[in-house]
Amino acid sequence: MEIALTSDNPVRAFGRIPPALVSTVTALVLWQLVTTVGPIADLSIPSVTETGAALIGELSSGEFYIRLWETIQMAVIGFVLAMAIAIPVGILIGLSRFSWRSTKFTFDFFKVIPPIVIIPIVILVLGPTMQMGVFLIVFTLVFAMAIQTGLGVRDADAVLLETMRCYGMSTASQIRYARLPSAAPFIAVGVRLSASAALVVSIVAGLIGGAPGLGKSILLSQAAGDEPRTFATVFVLGVLGIAVSRGVTWVQRKSIFWMPT
Amino acid sequence: MITSLWRRALLVLIAAWIPVTIFIAWWTLSAESTNPYFPPLSLIVQRFTELWFSNEFIVTVLPSLRNFFIGYLLACTIGIVLGTLIGGSRTGIKYAEPIIDFIRSIPAVATVPIFIIIFGLDIAMRVASITVAASMPILIATIQGVRSADVVQLETARVFHLSRAQQLWRVRLPGAMPIIFSGLQLGLQIAFIVTIASEFLGSGFGIGSFTLIATESFLILDAWTGVILMGLLGYLINIVFDLVERYYLRWYYGQKKIA
Repeated sequence: MEIALTSDNPVRAFGRIPPALVSTVTALVLWQLVTTVGPIADLSIPSVTETGAALIGELSSGEFYIRLWETIQMAVIGFVLAMAIAIPVGILIGLSRFSWRSTKFTFDFFKVIPPIVIIPIVILVLGPTMQMGVFLIVFTLVFAMAIQTGLGVRDADAVLLETMRCYGMSTASQIRYARLPSAAPFIAVGVRLSASAALVVSIVAGLIGGAPGLGKSILLSQAAGDEPRTFATVFVLGVLGIAVSRGVTWVQRKSIFWMPT
Repeated sequence: MITSLWRRALLVLIAAWIPVTIFIAWWTLSAESTNPYFPPLSLIVQRFTELWFSNEFIVTVLPSLRNFFIGYLLACTIGIVLGTLIGGSRTGIKYAEPIIDFIRSIPAVATVPIFIIIFGLDIAMRVASITVAASMPILIATIQGVRSADVVQLETARVFHLSRAQQLWRVRLPGAMPIIFSGLQLGLQIAFIVTIASEFLGSGFGIGSFTLIATESFLILDAWTGVILMGLLGYLINIVFDLVERYYLRWYYGQKKIA
């Protein structure tokens, strides 16, 4: 009797539907209602169906994939360049107390300055190009990543380092066997944050600076008054952001499996 | 005493030599500059004092700062209140998480066009985009903080028959403050970025708009002073936040020092 009751109980059955599905559907229905019958129906805000149609239109056009590729390409180039600069620099500044204290203030200063403020000057010098986006990404990532690497290098076990010195090991092998292993988890965290940030800046460079990619698509569709396309592209960016942060976490879990995240 | 003073002076010297070198190098290398994009630093400094130590500051910069503060304060309130409500219930988290996860995955700056479509180029657009973008990290941090309350403290509160509201107000929220503050800091940085972005994208008034218009009209000196002022403001906001956090969480840093 009781078993039958629980399995047929509509409330229980409702509880088995994944919460993510319930809240997503609720949000979409609410959006559809307020834009078609609700209080803001006569404004130019596109409804779910209009946005969905625009989204399908986008996804079936070749243009969209070119823009997506430009955004990703810019993000990857900027990210790789920034890591190639920041990690060696971070190791260098983390090696001695003098180099760490000398650079601390300057690096902190540039780390804190939001990259968006330099866009006007960067547009002037480099124009609305891919180089401009890459420069912005490198500028955004490099200081935080160098500091992060430096912190890791400084975290190396002091006793281990002393022992190595006593045995007359060279600085190079001290870096190889003591500094880098201690910095690895710090670098891993930095890489994860940098990858997401690279994507964001790549989009911002297009949206504000006119660099190629999806950011520019938003700018153009908004200027053309094509609201459904603007909404659809912003929606794609949300999905892309989730994909990148999940993807990087997954890769790191596979590659540095010994480290709990 | 004297040695410690010397030590402090030495530390300042070590921290300062690179910025001072950069400044001197920029000043001397740009002194004879004929490159239109990199005017002499002396001219930039002169223009900077002319512009920003005058009425222009009140007309151009104060509206930006006003939008920034209104948006940020709204974001703090919404983020902490909603976060406490959602974090206090397990079902709440399950249903809210997917939506929050999606919204925060959209780059904050990319939401500005959406708000332009909804509100036009009004002040409401600027404040709303700042509020929504900045409330996300605060909301997430509050949910995390409220959930990760100290079990022993919670049990103690239960033994003393504190009501649910009291548990929330006296145990969960104070314990969550260090985590909430990390969200508040991220929110602050995002609020500043979106303030500027809303002026770049929806022109009108404000320091961002001023700088972009200067760039487009090839007023290179004005553009440089705008960029430098925005950079300094972004830096100062963070410094002020650090001071407030240090003061407010002094009990927490004290605990960490002992441990």
